[in-house]
Amino acid sequence: MRKLNIIFTLIAFTLILATQKSFAQSGQELLDICNMVAGEATYLKDFQIKLDEAKPGEEPPAARHSLVLSKNTQYRFSICNSKDYAGEAIIQIYDNNRLVGTNHMVATGKTYPNFDFKCSSAGVYHIFINFKEGKQGMAVVQLSYVDRF
Amino acid sequence: MSKQLIYLLLSLIVLINFSSCKQKQGETNYSDEFKIPDSVLTQGELEISEEAMEDIIENVSSPVEIAALIKSVGVPYSKEYLATTDYVDNYNTNFKQALGLGIFGADLGYQNMYNKTGSVIDYISAIKTLADELHVGQFFDFTTLKRLATNNQNLDSLMYISVQNFNQMDRYLSENNRRNLSTLIVAGIWIESMYLIGEVAKSSPNPELSEKIGEQKIILGSLMLLLKNYERDPKFKELIDELTEIQEIYKEVTITYEKGEPEAIEEDGMLVIKQNDKQFIEISNETLIKIIDKTVEVRNKIIQM
Repeated sequence: MRKLNIIFTLIAFTLILATQKSFAQSGQELLDICNMVAGEATYLKDFQIKLDEAKPGEEPPAARHSLVLSKNTQYRFSICNSKDYAGEAIIQIYDNNRLVGTNHMVATGKTYPNFDFKCSSAGVYHIFINFKEGKQGMAVVQLSYVDRF
Repeated sequence: MSKQLIYLLLSLIVLINFSSCKQKQGETNYSDEFKIPDSVLTQGELEISEEAMEDIIENVSSPVEIAALIKSVGVPYSKEYLATTDYVDNYNTNFKQALGLGIFGADLGYQNMYNKTGSVIDYISAIKTLADELHVGQFFDFTTLKRLATNNQNLDSLMYISVQNFNQMDRYLSENNRRNLSTLIVAGIWIESMYLIGEVAKSSPNPELSEKIGEQKIILGSLMLLLKNYERDPKFKELIDELTEIQEIYKEVTITYEKGEPEAIEEDGMLVIKQNDKQFIEISNETLIKIIDKTVEVRNKIIQM
């Protein structure tokens, strides 16, 4: 009987472990946090990114998206990193091959959890998202509308 | 012995139920839930790659921005601009339903911007009907949106949830080989947004509105690339031909650039990046009127079909 109890306890324990994943932060939870972080800005779009750790000697993996931004419009990029992974997301905005915005300041080494981009030229922009030092990571990047200027 | 066994079995049942709840609360695998009719699947090969399509599909600006601009120039709300939801049953093919979904989505954005919750419910209901017909109704949180609109409370949430629901529908269609429908939704949103801004610009001329209409030359270019992938379908061909006429008029709009150096400043702990480029959009009044009139014609044809 005691053996049977141990077996059932082990099965139960295994099932508990299997359900642990349900407590990991989901993309929706991260998005809801991001929307709170964005404050008064109005939600427009989100990008949910999950990237593996960079392999030795290789470039860190990156996600790429493109979007249209309007002239004389202030946008907010809010970044919410999952606490289940070590990676801290870095965003770079490119106009063709020209870097026009990022949340990571190379000069100071500071990475900001959100930033505003004052767009003065309507057009197609490409955003690249990777994780600092090529770590494995999961994040949600929210694009919001702040105001016109 | 039997008591212990019952106890252990009950524990197992509870645990198994718990793990199945996880599936319900989390990311449901919708792809297994719905069978897609052959008629809505892509026919033949796409003319541009899936990867390129993915890039372009995100290249259409949100109706929120256009509604915000209309409001910011001080033009009062007008229900007259909106497409009627009375004949939602007439949207009886996937083609019409997807276009209608986009049109009502843009109208919903306009009403949300002005906090007009009274009339919002009709649009939420129409969107739900069309979304269900396209088997994407599971992404439209009708109950919550209706509650928020009825109680006239938490209007920011109303905007957040409705825009997010549209993004989820778009993402789902794109990922499930139904990009033709998501393209039509995008086209519907663009046409209705153009209609709204055009009507406002006609009744209350404003340089910002004219410039915004001129700026749409860039967006229409991306939209046409998307639509042309499906031009073998006669319905798509018809829509492409209509929009090509607008694109022809847009050739009269000139857009020039002067590149500047971006600058990063910190304001109250927040990083702000100023792009510092200059963009000049030249559009004559005559061209503006031609674009507006043609857009009205295209849009009215769609809502009367």
